Amino acid sequence: MKKIILIIAAFLIVLSCKNDDNNNGGSDNIEKFGTLTLDFSNTIEDKTIDLERGSYTNGSNETYAIAELKYIISNIVLITSTGEEFKYPVADSYFLINEAEESSKEISLTDIPEEEYTKIRFGFGVDQSKYPIESGTANFIPTAEENGMLWAWAAGYKFLKFEGTYNTIGSTTSNDFILHVGSHGANLDNYKEMTINLPSVLSIKEMTTPNVSINADIAKIFDSINTHSLEVKSDVQVDPVNAPIIAENVSTMFSITNVSN
Amino acid sequence: MKFLSYIVIFLFGTACSSEKDDYVPVTLENPKLEFTVPANFPEPSYNVSLNPPTEKGFELGKKLFYEGRLASDGVVSCGFCHIQDFAFTHHTHIVSHGVDGALGTRNAQPLHNMAFMKEFTWDGAAIHLDLQPIIPITAEVEMNESFSSIIKKLEERPEYVKLFSEAFENQKINSENILKALSQFMIMMVSADSKYDKIERNEGSVFTEQEAAGFELFKSKCASCHAGTLFTDQSYRNNGLSVDPQYNDLGRKRVTGLDEDLHKFKVPSLRNIELTFPYMHDGRLKTLNDVLDHYSNGMVDSPTLDPVFKNTDTSLGILMTDLEKEQIIAFLKTLTDDNFVADSRFSEF
Repeated sequence: MKKIILIIAAFLIVLSCKNDDNNNGGSDNIEKFGTLTLDFSNTIEDKTIDLERGSYTNGSNETYAIAELKYIISNIVLITSTGEEFKYPVADSYFLINEAEESSKEISLTDIPEEEYTKIRFGFGVDQSKYPIESGTANFIPTAEENGMLWAWAAGYKFLKFEGTYNTIGSTTSNDFILHVGSHGANLDNYKEMTINLPSVLSIKEMTTPNVSINADIAKIFDSINTHSLEVKSDVQVDPVNAPIIAENVSTMFSITNVSN
Repeated sequence: MKFLSYIVIFLFGTACSSEKDDYVPVTLENPKLEFTVPANFPEPSYNVSLNPPTEKGFELGKKLFYEGRLASDGVVSCGFCHIQDFAFTHHTHIVSHGVDGALGTRNAQPLHNMAFMKEFTWDGAAIHLDLQPIIPITAEVEMNESFSSIIKKLEERPEYVKLFSEAFENQKINSENILKALSQFMIMMVSADSKYDKIERNEGSVFTEQEAAGFELFKSKCASCHAGTLFTDQSYRNNGLSVDPQYNDLGRKRVTGLDEDLHKFKVPSLRNIELTFPYMHDGRLKTLNDVLDHYSNGMVDSPTLDPVFKNTDTSLGILMTDLEKEQIIAFLKTLTDDNFVADSRFSEF
């Protein structure tokens, strides 16, 4: 008898503390929530990039090998066919994609309202207009710091860290390239937002574990709207000319390859 | 058996106290602090409503400001280089000092009226006050620390666990709350009680003849950049200092990458200027006399030298006689706020 009471009590206590923050307005109409995983693949010519052995050629006929690829994804929004938007909470909406770390390429989102979504929007980098004003965004600092994504001399983030070596045509000596893109100071804003149609409807349900595969075509960092040649500029750090060019290219590199519900 | 039921009832009573229920007592114990804009000041740039200073937040910010644990060596706190007696500058130190005797490349700037400033540091590398502390905390030649490590160190201190939980609704020790607490402390550091302020607000003070003459000269010769009651237009300008090859400091160009910003530095506020020697971004000038001598006949021309210093007769600088310099300095000394540097609210002990 004692045992039963204890079990009931324990159960009731656990139950009674269920977090009800997700109930909008506390009406009787209970909204349901589900989860979503975003899988990022960094590819060149449809193959996952290889940091160890990969050798690639860009549109300027420069061969290059990639040593490091990191970028920041933020401000994720899911959009329904009628244009209704679910904004993932800003404070939890900053993610670092690091090619060298598998777990970083899988973003898990929780507490998403049950709905059918047809579009996704997300940001590349950190939106200066929101940062640090909106609550919680400063909590991304330790992650950025550990991954070398803070400018050492400033208070801002690197949005893209893309490093490796390259050879120009006919040359056998390889040189380092360092492409760092971010916002610095109030004048240079390289934050980009992309809205992408989903190839099929994403349906979020309470008990399912849907998945959206996002492909980042890394070759587009060099060749897309703009062409960036490493021979012209292999060291882009605080660069008001080349950083915006690369940021524009980055904004075109993402596509959604699959939705599984 | 009865006893058991009591326990159950008791547990019910306590189990559901959510953060929201705690909110009311927390506010009672943690009253908001009044942030008052002085009558002769502009509106603050800092949005105080997004991080309203509270008693506990301010106390925490002050404790963090003087906390050596924010540095890798456990010694070099913010207050190490920003000393209240000298309007929060590093008195007599030409450039900032960091952990293990490291030397920075620039002179520690005074801290006052931060809520009214739009950008921070000599080159504007921080666009918001909440972000500024990231720079000295993480710079190798300053505090050489990481936020993850600071958070870990603070979590080990019961006094910080308590203060963070009292100061912030989410009760967490995280970078956001560290930065917000530091800002709460810094935005309260308003210096607006100098002789100049009392005159500007008609509070009964009057300039001496020399100060009044200095003020007139100041208005015609200095106030185009050191504008308004904050004594800065918050722009970046090249004021004709020769480039020190030891540092080869790019100035504002480091932030924008633009050639046109080479060797430009923030126009500093002149409040408490008497106390904040040495002067210039690298602390190369020791006295106010040296500063005025630089402006009258020490300037070096360069492509980005501010046009305001280029005279029609091709000479450079601001024409001033020795007497005029004395008068200007007499005026500048009316910007010293003794109450601010003695204000115990901001003192370490």
